[in-house]
Amino acid sequence: MQKIESQLNTETESTQIIELIKINDEGVLKTLYHSNFHKIEAFILKNSGTKEQAKDIFQEAFIAVWKNVKTNKFQAQTNHSINGYLYTISKNKWMDYLRSKHHKKTVVTSKLNHFEISDKNALDKDDDILKENRLQGVMEAFKSLGLPCKNLLTKFYFEKKSMNIIAKELQLDPASARNKKYRCMKKLRELALKDN
Amino acid sequence: MNPNYNITQAELERIEGYINKTMTFEEASAFEENLKNDPDLKNRLEDIRIMLLGIESQALKEKLEEFHAELPENKTQTKESSKVKYLNFKKVIAIAAMVVISLGGYWFFTKETNANLYAKYYSPDPGLPTTMSTSDNFTFYDAMVNYKRKDYNLAISKWEPLLAKKPENDTLNYFIGSAYLAKGKEGLAIPYLQKVTKLEVETFKNEAYYYIGLAYLKTENIELAKQNLNLSTFNNSKEILNELNK
Repeated sequence: MQKIESQLNTETESTQIIELIKINDEGVLKTLYHSNFHKIEAFILKNSGTKEQAKDIFQEAFIAVWKNVKTNKFQAQTNHSINGYLYTISKNKWMDYLRSKHHKKTVVTSKLNHFEISDKNALDKDDDILKENRLQGVMEAFKSLGLPCKNLLTKFYFEKKSMNIIAKELQLDPASARNKKYRCMKKLRELALKDN
Repeated sequence: MNPNYNITQAELERIEGYINKTMTFEEASAFEENLKNDPDLKNRLEDIRIMLLGIESQALKEKLEEFHAELPENKTQTKESSKVKYLNFKKVIAIAAMVVISLGGYWFFTKETNANLYAKYYSPDPGLPTTMSTSDNFTFYDAMVNYKRKDYNLAISKWEPLLAKKPENDTLNYFIGSAYLAKGKEGLAIPYLQKVTKLEVETFKNEAYYYIGLAYLKTENIELAKQNLNLSTFNNSKEILNELNK
């Protein structure tokens, strides 16, 4: 078995970056954040935004990029393209925001389109909207979940630590740690359902 | 989300296993077979998917606040970023790690202890890119995913049988060694990495010497650490040697 890419080239690097983003590697996420923020902030400030708005838009775009990487909707060819992608999404989000502020009516009519049941696209969009609502519900619920549960679930689902390692950290045997995780998930689900 | 049912622990773990691809191929096929006949299972799968994505998204959102608070000053950043683009990725991480560490006050020590030096320079090999393919290397890449998720025991347990079949394989020796090192078992890691340096293939030799050097550094075998670091051409090796010769 030879090493697949014997030479490190930009393509390998960006595949690696993509893989590391998928497993939420903190170093990579932080580098991505730090090396792009100021560029986008400059764009938003130049286009009648505030510092606070720049931060919000950038973070929204960052999460959108991360989500698309995770679901394989984005596949990078070069290192440059993920930075470019983040920039484009931020820019579009800011343009959308400016438009919605100045032309509220167009937004309302476009939303009405979703009620045309005969339209296949509209149905898909409805489905997306429902999913997005449920996702927001889970996020809100997770925000207000008790700290012990939040820590445990973050370690497992975000940091991708193994249950055995988490059990050791919490000084529990693996079986009780797994059961605890299960109960936390139940709690989170109840909270999310209540909010909806 | 449908409130009308409860998921048992076993069921939750099974669905998660499917989503996170930690199932064996047979288990995954059986699961997909169930999916076809059981619309309820499909709903539950969708439910769990959204929950996992929600947890991760919110955890990330909170992480972003931390990143934001740590933003470097604007001016130095724009200067740096144009340079950073041309460095290779491992170096970027190494530099980031070093910047963070040095800001942490390490400057105050004129000579660092070997344990500090190890902590400063050691970061596990990031592993090879994994692609979902039908190649016969499936087990190898499957274990690579475990390795990247820091589940080193599981990765080693999958790689060892492959190595038994191909004891002369440099890639397997290298990553099993890397996994042991990442677990903090230097004693176990060294023989595998040494094997890599004795094989004909050059691919991982440089890395192997570097990590052997670090392993010896951690176990306080300074002479052996120096010998091995001398055989590696990485900048980090030279920096460590400089520190050791202070």
